[in-house]
Amino acid sequence: MLWQATVETLTMVGISTVVASVLGLPLGLLLACTDQGHILENSFVNKVLGAVINVGRSIPFIILMVAIIPFTRLIAGTSIGTKAAIVPLTVAAVPFVARLVESAIKEIDSGVVEAALSMGASPWQIIAKVLIPEALPALVLALTLTAVNLIGYSAMAGAVGGGGLGDLAIRFGYQRFRGDIMLQTVAILVVLVQAVQMLGDWIARQLYKR
Amino acid sequence: MIRLKGVTKTFDGKTTVHALRGIDLHIPAGQIFGIIGQSGAGKSTLIRCINMLEKPDQGQVWVDGVLMNELPPAELRQERKKIGMIFQHFNLLSSRTVAGNIAFPLEIAGAKRSTIESTVNELLALVGLEDKANAYPAQLSGGQKQRVGIARALATKPRILLCDEATSALDPETTKSVLQLLKTINQELGLTIVLITHEMTVIQEICDTVAVLEDGVVQEWGPVVQVFTRPKAESTKRMIRGSISTQIPQELMGSEKTLLKLSFVGQLAHEPVISQMIRKYSVDANILFGKIDQMKDIPFGMLLVELSGSPEHIQDAIHFLQAQDVELEVLS
Repeated sequence: MLWQATVETLTMVGISTVVASVLGLPLGLLLACTDQGHILENSFVNKVLGAVINVGRSIPFIILMVAIIPFTRLIAGTSIGTKAAIVPLTVAAVPFVARLVESAIKEIDSGVVEAALSMGASPWQIIAKVLIPEALPALVLALTLTAVNLIGYSAMAGAVGGGGLGDLAIRFGYQRFRGDIMLQTVAILVVLVQAVQMLGDWIARQLYKR
Repeated sequence: MIRLKGVTKTFDGKTTVHALRGIDLHIPAGQIFGIIGQSGAGKSTLIRCINMLEKPDQGQVWVDGVLMNELPPAELRQERKKIGMIFQHFNLLSSRTVAGNIAFPLEIAGAKRSTIESTVNELLALVGLEDKANAYPAQLSGGQKQRVGIARALATKPRILLCDEATSALDPETTKSVLQLLKTINQELGLTIVLITHEMTVIQEICDTVAVLEDGVVQEWGPVVQVFTRPKAESTKRMIRGSISTQIPQELMGSEKTLLKLSFVGQLAHEPVISQMIRKYSVDANILFGKIDQMKDIPFGMLLVELSGSPEHIQDAIHFLQAQDVELEVLS
């Protein structure tokens, strides 16, 4: 039972982290690059995108999860279970990833971008060869943070029948007064978070050349 | 090679800054052209107008016969590949090794892998960093980083090298060696070098021509020796006073004797002009201060001399010195 719940949590978090990264990375890049003085300066795109992302981030996850049930059904074909939980988890994580990517990109010294421009690099070359490689350690840490947050969110998803460790903790640990199961799920969650964080830190350290 | 006509640039922010107010300059091919000015004079903006990192509001920038102002983005990128640039803070990619940094502009230009490899090796040898090919910038000293910057700037074989305060973050010793490297590049590759600096010594060391910039205006420009030995603009004089201290104590200024400031340029600096003068005319000379320096390869001397003798003799002596082409200023 515990094992199955752990697998469910890992599946939810794993898939939603990957999908949110794939969607959030370009958005974050677009946010950073359209900012004033950057390579694709465009204040209209920047402001609109920024506003949309802020709206996304201000909706509490538990509300978001319920609110997008029709969308979830459209994507996952169902609105309950682990598969369905992945959709709201991803939707919640995309704006979060975008903001983290934006700040990671903005950390890069503008002089490096200027140097690339002086060599005749195109915006796309700058993104691919300067911004992403230079921000890579920070991006890895951003994804680590996202994954850790999603582990927390996934427990909430459990509350509405999403499966996973949160589900187990509520149904058995809380509703059936099984203190031992509650303790075990919490312990597993702690270990998961620790493991993800340590792995992320380690990868970032390997990439860090500064 | 580079020609600026009426270049103007204004920055609108909380306060409006007129960085450049109508710059006219001609930078001939093959020269080391220095632009000196205090911070805020507009130097950085000026050098960035050459490769359009800053777009001028008005005026024209011609580089090698191409009008840079109105080029569409793709063509501008092509032109930029012909202009190398190095920076005060080096601006190297921290995620790439030395070799990777030098390869970077070649990758951008779409060079073949084999070309990249051989060019990188050549450049590593040129800047003397063969043993650092696989080091990361964080493992290098400032001088080494700037050498990587120079190698990187030369990778696409540009005809022009722009140096944005390239030695300002380096200690004097390292500055010297980097300047020496720039001089070598200028001579051996025939590269036109434009550098901006606030340091007189940089101009003295390697520049052929200097332009003095203040408040977004070129105050004066010409051959280094001429500008520095016979400065016309107030800002040039101020700068020279700053670097060659010729502050004369008040007590001396009030004395009855004649105080002269003499400048010797070129061959003249080797001539025993003073002793000839003493022998020829019955005047005594008391040397209060003297120094000899070098501007690029031209020796340049300065003497502060107190003359005593009869007024006529002193007059004759002064005429003699002037006849010898000594730049002379009677201070009292």
